[in-house]
Amino acid sequence: MNIHAYEKLWLAASLVLIVLFIGSVTYGAVGAGIAMVDDAEGVIDPDALDEDDRFADPRVEEVGENEYEVYVVAGQFFFDPGTFEPIEVPEHSQVTFYVTSPDVIHSFSIPGTNANTMVIPGEVASMTVEVGDPQEYGIVCNEFCGGGHHDMEGEFHVVPEDEFTLEADE
Amino acid sequence: MTEELHREIGHDEYNPVGTLVLIALYFLVLLLLWLFVYFIEFLGRDLTVVGVVI
Amino acid sequence: MTTYIERFPAEARVIRSTFFTAFIALGIGALFGLLQVLHRTDVHRLVDSADYYHILTIHGVLLALTFTIFFLAGVFTWGLTTSLDRGVVDVRFTWAWYGLMVGGTALAAIPMFGGLIDGIDMSAGVLFTFYAPLQAHPLFYLGLALFIIGTWLAGADWIWTYLAWRRENPDERIPLPTFMVLTTTLFWYLSSLGVAIAVVVFLLPWSLGLLEQVNPLLTRTLFWYFGHPVVYFWLMPTYMLWYVLLPKVAGGKLFSDPLARVVFVLFLLLSTPTGIHHQYLDPGIAEGFKFIAMTNTMFLLLPSLLTAFTVVASVEHGARQRGGTGYLGWLGALPWRDPVFTGMALAGLMFAAAGFSGMVNAGMNINYLVHNTFWIVGHFHLTVGTAVALTFMAVTYWLLPQITGKPIWSRSVGLAQVVTWFVGMTLMSNAMHRGGLSGVPRRTAEPQYENFDFTPAFGTMAELDAGVVIGGSLLFLSAVLFLGNVFVSLTGGKDLTSIPENAYAEALSGAEDGPLILDNLKLWLVIAVLLVVLTYALPIGAIIDRGGLLGPGGSPYPLVVESGRAISIGLGEVVA
Ligand code: HEM
Ligand SMILES: [Cu+2]
Ligand SMILES: [Cu+2]
Repeated sequence: MNIHAYEKLWLAASLVLIVLFIGSVTYGAVGAGIAMVDDAEGVIDPDALDEDDRFADPRVEEVGENEYEVYVVAGQFFFDPGTFEPIEVPEHSQVTFYVTSPDVIHSFSIPGTNANTMVIPGEVASMTVEVGDPQEYGIVCNEFCGGGHHDMEGEFHVVPEDEFTLEADE
Repeated sequence: MTEELHREIGHDEYNPVGTLVLIALYFLVLLLLWLFVYFIEFLGRDLTVVGVVI
Repeated sequence: MTTYIERFPAEARVIRSTFFTAFIALGIGALFGLLQVLHRTDVHRLVDSADYYHILTIHGVLLALTFTIFFLAGVFTWGLTTSLDRGVVDVRFTWAWYGLMVGGTALAAIPMFGGLIDGIDMSAGVLFTFYAPLQAHPLFYLGLALFIIGTWLAGADWIWTYLAWRRENPDERIPLPTFMVLTTTLFWYLSSLGVAIAVVVFLLPWSLGLLEQVNPLLTRTLFWYFGHPVVYFWLMPTYMLWYVLLPKVAGGKLFSDPLARVVFVLFLLLSTPTGIHHQYLDPGIAEGFKFIAMTNTMFLLLPSLLTAFTVVASVEHGARQRGGTGYLGWLGALPWRDPVFTGMALAGLMFAAAGFSGMVNAGMNINYLVHNTFWIVGHFHLTVGTAVALTFMAVTYWLLPQITGKPIWSRSVGLAQVVTWFVGMTLMSNAMHRGGLSGVPRRTAEPQYENFDFTPAFGTMAELDAGVVIGGSLLFLSAVLFLGNVFVSLTGGKDLTSIPENAYAEALSGAEDGPLILDNLKLWLVIAVLLVVLTYALPIGAIIDRGGLLGPGGSPYPLVVESGRAISIGLGEVVA
């Protein structure tokens, strides 16, 4: 089988591209420290979220210095917290979202940012992000979840340190 | 269609040099777009998901 | 000079039927596409926003599955019989698979359209991905299963005919188009098994009430096990047309037959063990599995990149034979007035652009940026929505005369049609990609939110909306021109003398230059199965291990749900 010299050249260039892509992705994972949503959390009974101490009372919780955990239930067609009241965290902190669904598949996505995950009943999606200066973000569900899907939105507020209070402290 | 055929070019006398030019351009476009979208659009944004530091 | 219909009148009749079925789907799908762009941008909302999703389900199913697969079944039947110079073994069997595919489609369509009609209690507003616990009427799953079995029989028909030819020609190389049909058929068997299991073992019994619940992550994973390779089921016939017909209409020869075979073998091997790249952001799947899917996907770029070279080199060969010269001057020597050529060439150009967004989609962690945004919709309207759809429309101008004996009514209208599609898609897809980068979600009736706005990096949302609406309208217009041209051609009389001979491109470097092992399909199939087992056994095992075969559940929707939450009976009633 004789392959034309130009085509061999292109084959080599293609392999270079492929290696570059895989290299960038690996750099993103190892160098920039980007983690994928994965199987770190155990399964959960979607019909018994009220028996789970994280999701029975969805909330923001302080777990360490400048470290917060947010437990969110994404259901038809709301984020709790998020839709009825904004999720609030203080500026320059590390925030881990834990999101699960009592009904169908949804997503928990903060448009314009890299925070974006699927939410699957029975699974808990966990995502850690570092927030910077105060800013107000939106939250959308970007997976079709039923007739009211387009109404499923919420808010995520990064607020100045001195304006931040936890629900429990109020 | 065949009427317009000016000449018959056989296997050994044909070098697809035009293809080489086009595909080299394509390579450059892919490379630049990738660098832009991955390193500027993506890594330049905030709320990037990081590994949990425990 | 013989046309296809003279040589194979019985097969021509079946191919006509597959094409006409495809065109009906295209017409309805394009109309609904127009409704979608108008609805999303709030230019005009013909239906309730809750019903938007029924429209979108129909658009997705009719275009991505019905239009593409009926058309490609016809194309494959044409390519196989033409290259073997032999009819199918028994045309009654050919009619049987066609009938089963039509029957399945019709059954599935009942609840799909039922959801739009008040007073009909059936619905299937689950989109073409039908992720459980969204639940469709059982007819939807049953229809889908029958349709898939129909495609399996079609594959069996092609293999059967090939084997008959093999007995008559024991020593010959497999002709290239037949080789392409066979490799595609094999990976289609391998990959569609996933969706068949999801539908027959889990979703259909669940929708009938025989199973109380299913494991949503498992059925979703089985769907994507099929959902990525199905893309290649659309693309392989497109590539076949680029390899064997495009060089011919360009006045040249295929640059390399052996390399084309290598490309198709790579697709057989690599197209299935990649589906997890649609689940990069799914909880419950380990990062390692996602990484493996990512590397497989990246290597799957290789056959497409090779195709780009071989196809362009074949076209260039045509241009030079037609007197073209220079580094790029030869481009001017191509038959740009021929809608068959121009349509396919523009489709290929758009596919090159789609290559870039596809590379981004493949890039695992960058999926955080684009997953389920409008970017994705922009991407696949370039791939299946143009590379495939526009190629299919363009070759119709070549194949329709072959299978009907009637010339195309107007080749100028045909030329205007393919150019309009290209322009419309450029506008629509560009706006979709950019909207996606600013976070605009896909699959959403009203992407306008109360508490925040999208801020595109370049331009404004109004400008992007205008791109989507103008582009979408041009696309609709193009579809109407296409269907009109086909329809008027069919009302005309037969004129066999004006139709070119049924043939495909010869190769500069022919099959005899390729090693015999390329044609050893059994070997490639075994390796393909092994690769699939290697990449999928562990993730599927882990998913079953975590949630159970039928757990951990979630609530079927839209069915009556117990206490506490909203009781929803039909999609249409949920949100006023
Ligand atoms: C008249 C031309 C077309 C227009 C105006 C159009 C428009 C659209 C729009 C706006 C969406 C996104 C809806 C949303 O996410 O909310 C969409 C989705 C889609 N389109 Fe098209 N489209 C056209 C042609 C095609 C063609 C030719 C194909 C394939 C052969 C296709 C396949 C799809 C698929 C698979 C989806 C995704 C459905 C889903 O998300 O479930 N479209 N189309
Ligand atoms: Cu949703
Ligand atoms: Cu894919």
